[in-house]
Amino acid sequence: MDFRLPPESVELAEAVREYLAGTHGPDVLRRLDAGGNRDLRIWQGLVEMGLTGLLVPESEGGLGMTLLGGALIARECGRACLAEPLVDTALVAVPWLIARGETDDLAVIAAGEKLVALPHAVNPWVADGEGEELASVDPLRNLVAAPEDAGDDPLLLDLGALMSAAQLVGLAEAMLDQAVAYAQVREQFGHAIGGFQAIKHKLADVAVALEFVRPVLWRAAQAMDDGLTSAPLHVSHAKYAATDAAYLAAESAIQVHGAMGYTYEVDLHFWMKRAWALAGAWGDRNFHYHRIEDAALGGAHPLGPQHTFA
Amino acid sequence: MDLAYTPRQQAFRQEVREWLAAHVPAERLVTLERKDGFDQHVAWERELASGNWGMVTWPSEYGGRGLDLIEWLIFEEEYWAAGAPLRANQNGIFLLGPTIMEFGSDEQKARFLPPMAKGEVIWAQAWSEPGAGSDMAAIKTTARRDGDHYVINGQKTWSSRASFADWGFGLFRTEEGSQRHKGLSFLLFDLNAPGITRRPIRQLHGDPGFAELFFDEVRVPVENRIAGEGEGWKVAMATAGFERGLMLRSPGRFQATAARLMALLRETADRASPGLREEVVRLWMGAQAYAYNTYQVAARIMAGGSIGAEASLNKIFWSELDRAMHRAAMHLLGPAAELQTLPDGSANEWLEGYIFSLSGPIYAGSNEIQRNITAERLLGLPRVGAG
Ligand SMILES: Cc1cc2nc3c(=O)[nH]c(=O)nc-3n(C[C@H](O)[C@H](O)[C@H](O)COP(=O)(O)OP(=O)(O)OC[C@H]3O[C@@H](n4cnc5c(N)ncnc54)[C@H](O)[C@@H]3O)c2cc1C
Repeated sequence: MDFRLPPESVELAEAVREYLAGTHGPDVLRRLDAGGNRDLRIWQGLVEMGLTGLLVPESEGGLGMTLLGGALIARECGRACLAEPLVDTALVAVPWLIARGETDDLAVIAAGEKLVALPHAVNPWVADGEGEELASVDPLRNLVAAPEDAGDDPLLLDLGALMSAAQLVGLAEAMLDQAVAYAQVREQFGHAIGGFQAIKHKLADVAVALEFVRPVLWRAAQAMDDGLTSAPLHVSHAKYAATDAAYLAAESAIQVHGAMGYTYEVDLHFWMKRAWALAGAWGDRNFHYHRIEDAALGGAHPLGPQHTFA
Repeated sequence: MDLAYTPRQQAFRQEVREWLAAHVPAERLVTLERKDGFDQHVAWERELASGNWGMVTWPSEYGGRGLDLIEWLIFEEEYWAAGAPLRANQNGIFLLGPTIMEFGSDEQKARFLPPMAKGEVIWAQAWSEPGAGSDMAAIKTTARRDGDHYVINGQKTWSSRASFADWGFGLFRTEEGSQRHKGLSFLLFDLNAPGITRRPIRQLHGDPGFAELFFDEVRVPVENRIAGEGEGWKVAMATAGFERGLMLRSPGRFQATAARLMALLRETADRASPGLREEVVRLWMGAQAYAYNTYQVAARIMAGGSIGAEASLNKIFWSELDRAMHRAAMHLLGPAAELQTLPDGSANEWLEGYIFSLSGPIYAGSNEIQRNITAERLLGLPRVGAG
């Protein structure tokens, strides 16, 4: 029993965080928003970091990491509000293809030469797919209508939900950081507004929510890596809690920004809109709630202190 | 990351489970907040000690088993799953014990820890004063040096179970005229020492769970001081860290409440509104999240890390979770919530628990103070005035 994140995954996540902070700031989001939405140079940078091959086995030219390691990277993608479809291809499609034994394309995917956009019956759209375009509130999200024959594979759904939860955590963390930074510099009544307790306590609540959603996320990823039969319950817990944390972070952050927060000028809106989008993706809050209720209240999952890791 | 227990850990769980099954009193004890109930709980402490379960993480020379934090968590999980009584000795084993372990001399460890682990000496905390609540640095009670003794004069209040306990620990002003955090020392004193008057205070539920302490020329030997003279604030902050952080409220307690709450929801499912239903499931998730977080903190500490201001996040979370769980139960019980004895003849533990849960966001540093600490020390927001 050791609930520590693997150091090598943490190190890689920190490197990715630094890389994205340096190359993928709000200016990039604005440039993408002004036209194009996607940029091959950004994608190429991710490929060069090895991120497209994160979960691809080493024999196929990848890094062979676990889903837990993948979730740590998905969180960084959320934090940077990354628009390129890295998570869907490298962290959702790849492990799904591997589980199905469809390994033919893995090397090409790892090399960054193939994107995989998988439809699922739970989503009324496909992100970065081809077909009739749908407009999302997120200006950097490319959606098309889902095909009528989209499957409902449960593993694919869990992978999509897990990685969405991880991005939601990163998005929420970034929104908290933005609100804190603003509260440190914006002055009213002769003080930085961050000195007012109403502001402090609002942001402290976001910090509390995040502190208690992160371990749920790691637990869910590990449960999938371990192939626990209870993994879907833990994934749903992570998605549900991450959704609530992201909405809380977004609403708190906009409030702290005042009217500034209600503008297109301030960066916050990119993160907020991505959070709304991902909250409904790969099973919305209702969907995941019902899965939790069925398992935990229905009696299939053992409750009580002696079953923490059931 | 490895979320499976080792065979050794599983065997330990089994051992704890079997011992508890054979020893946990079949009848619920009378409340700890009353003299007769307190005595029953002290008897239980001694029963625990007879099985060497007083404080499993302590070295064996001090009456422990030398176990690690994961084993402690396993012990706690089984403890709460078994419905074992509250710990009369919690202020000793979870707060003062770790403090002495960190700051005490070898002589002090040998003198105070074994009787604590054995439940022979029960401890009360004495920080708060009428004018020093959240603002603990406003402490006025003095301890004047007189040769190899301190002489204490003043008043402490809200001291949990001090009406019944044997010894107390707290902060006293040892430097005359000193201000705020300076000039305070951490002293241990016999509650039966001449010059101490204990006046019980009835709590919300009506029982005398805490007491005022009046000190009139109370002599305390200098060797009862933990750490140096004037270093009391630093020591007290460490004790407070234990209180808010890992030790005082292990997750098993809240997971047990959550499991009971889910059972209550099943029984009352035909009446529960959809909103209440989702709230209960959400609270169960919260108790699980608290457990995962604790395992993560434990793993970090075992790897040489520490818990700092994050203890404030913990304290906010468990105290508000506990209150929300008991509130949900009150709503599920509906018209029976007010009854001291439920229609099936059992004591209304939910009502008792709800009343107690209201104190969680107040004691151990109020949640407003914890939110200030979170904002200032973890998020880096500026301090303005008395922040
Ligand atoms: C059940 C129970 C057991 C206790 N046991 C013990 C014990 O064993 N030993 C002991 O020494 N004490 C004990 N206490 C006392 C406890 O430590 C104090 O109640 C606590 O520190 C708060 O102090 P106070 O009650 O004086 O409230 P106050 O400090 O008067 O606070 C009143 C309200 O004002 C708020 N407030 C105060 N300052 C600020 C600020 N700067 N910013 C924002 N809000 C603020 C508080 O959060 C609170 O809501 C116990 C209390 C309870 C309820």
